[in-house]
Amino acid sequence: MRNRLDLLGLCALLAMVLVVYQRLDPTLLHPSTITILSAQFLPLILAAAGQTIVMLTGGIDLSLGAVLSLGMAVFVIYPPDAPGGVVAAMALALAVTVLAGAANGVLVAYAGLPPIIVTLAASFLWGGVTLIVLPQPGGHVPEGLVRAYNLGWHGLALPAIAIGVALGLWKLVKTTHFGLALYAAGGNEHGAYANGIDTRRVKIYAYGLAGLFTGLAGIGLAIQTGSGDPTIGVPYTLNSIAVAVLGGISFFGGVGQMRGTLLGALLLGLLTNLLLFTGISTFYQMILQGVVLIVAVAVKTLATRKAVA
Amino acid sequence: MTQTVQGSGVRAGDAGPRRSFDGLRGNRALWAFGVLALTWVAAVLFARGFGSLASVRYLVQTASFLGIVAVGQTLVVMMSGIDLSVSAVVALSAVVCAQVAAGSGGAVAILVALAVSALVGVVNAAGIVWLRLPPMVMTLASTTVISGALLIYTNGSPKSASIPLLDALANGSVAGIPLATVLWLGIAAVAVWLLHLSRLGAYAFALGTSEPASRASGVPVPVTTLVMYAACALLAGVAGLVLLGFTGTSSLTMGNPYQLLSIAAVVLGGTSILGGRGHLLGTVAGALLLTLLTALLVAWNLSEGLRQVALGLLIIVLLLLYARERRTA
Repeated sequence: MRNRLDLLGLCALLAMVLVVYQRLDPTLLHPSTITILSAQFLPLILAAAGQTIVMLTGGIDLSLGAVLSLGMAVFVIYPPDAPGGVVAAMALALAVTVLAGAANGVLVAYAGLPPIIVTLAASFLWGGVTLIVLPQPGGHVPEGLVRAYNLGWHGLALPAIAIGVALGLWKLVKTTHFGLALYAAGGNEHGAYANGIDTRRVKIYAYGLAGLFTGLAGIGLAIQTGSGDPTIGVPYTLNSIAVAVLGGISFFGGVGQMRGTLLGALLLGLLTNLLLFTGISTFYQMILQGVVLIVAVAVKTLATRKAVA
Repeated sequence: MTQTVQGSGVRAGDAGPRRSFDGLRGNRALWAFGVLALTWVAAVLFARGFGSLASVRYLVQTASFLGIVAVGQTLVVMMSGIDLSVSAVVALSAVVCAQVAAGSGGAVAILVALAVSALVGVVNAAGIVWLRLPPMVMTLASTTVISGALLIYTNGSPKSASIPLLDALANGSVAGIPLATVLWLGIAAVAVWLLHLSRLGAYAFALGTSEPASRASGVPVPVTTLVMYAACALLAGVAGLVLLGFTGTSSLTMGNPYQLLSIAAVVLGGTSILGGRGHLLGTVAGALLLTLLTALLVAWNLSEGLRQVALGLLIIVLLLLYARERRTA
């Protein structure tokens, strides 16, 4: 019930923001605006989805930004005229990010090091690999794809569809045995283990799956900007954590819904854009982001404190 | 009890100074010094120019920037907190100092910069204690707020400043030892006292071991949290000032490397990221070790990418060697 109240609160906030937005920009619901907005929000939404999966296991991924850049780098350096073209580039990039994520998972599961430390070291590792793959901004993405992605393809908002497909995939995963095990292992690791769940394997899969979402975010960012940048992912690490926390995902694992994360990302993204309309300097965006995070989490904690204590 | 809880707050509080240094002996901090010594010997043997006195001097001088931030980070990590805002505070302190110095002179600028830094720590602690925010969320939020505020304050282009006192502090030396290093070791000494010998330090250890238990046994949680976070932010501010003296210019991103490296230094120094276990001197070794490793990788002429890969792998290997967490039974 508390969970539902959280989500309802977020929905109400989002509705308010949307109403204000609609007044300032009446084209909000036109397909072209939706395409532009979803292209703009896709990397954060998918990165936060990846972070959410890791946080559900009770972990945290500080290497997310580096892995995002890595996926982007692999995607843009694959020559478009090579066999398979864009599709092969995507598959290759996703394979790399899934492996990078799974490697984090193996270390978390078997090394006896806390996730925050493993992924901190991994952030250097994957950041370095990215710089080797793509030493400076560059690479290329087929122009037609960039245009179709950012401006719509036969009236379809491709990024919005991509987000929908990715979240549908999560929905599917969640109904499997693995999905149940993920929540169980995150909520009470020893209990889950005692009930015959291979918690180590669950963690490895979870980090790998997070790598998949992170890779998709990187590919989306590459297509949106039309090229690759080896360090562009860095802010996504902390932003993804912020959005997940805003969406009600607990640091301690096992609690939270992907819907919350999605709402959190939309809320933050729309608020940032609203500031642009007001004509205030974009510098204020960062302050707003910090304040929203503090207020949202504090209100939630204080509102639910009585029930906990 | 005594076998399972090494150097924990309970013992440090009960038995005072002597026990606390016993804790160091059986602790992973000693490992950090061992690995540091081995790495240095390896560097002297396998890389050029690491044996000279000048290179050692340069090493300890450059390590002191990271070292000062990491000392502060240790205070916070020990009570199972974390301060992600140190990167922003390093920049904040340097930028504010440079900006104020242009109008009101060096001394005022330094004081203002330090006051602003400490204030950030107080605000962080307030959010953690009274709003009950997880430390990671609170310090993350203050990082973005500070970064935004600095952009507005400087309009995107921070000033450079030459302040004689900071210049001397960063580049001068006494009896062949860089002043920055003297400052760092002095700060570390005070921090060892605060964390391992004072009552407040015992409280911090207790908090790191178990917050509910500490609350129940009357540990003044707000005061302890406030002092430790304020000290951490103040030290990040000091590091920002020394860096300003070292480079002569301030930039909005100058603190960025310290966010993760300061945590890495703490953990490499043998402190548990979960709090309650470790020794501050280990962090001194951790900062030296990270700086030495970086210098070594630079000396081998590796590309920036390979350097990062190597550093990441080395950190993981070293942690696997001596910093594994005991599985909670």
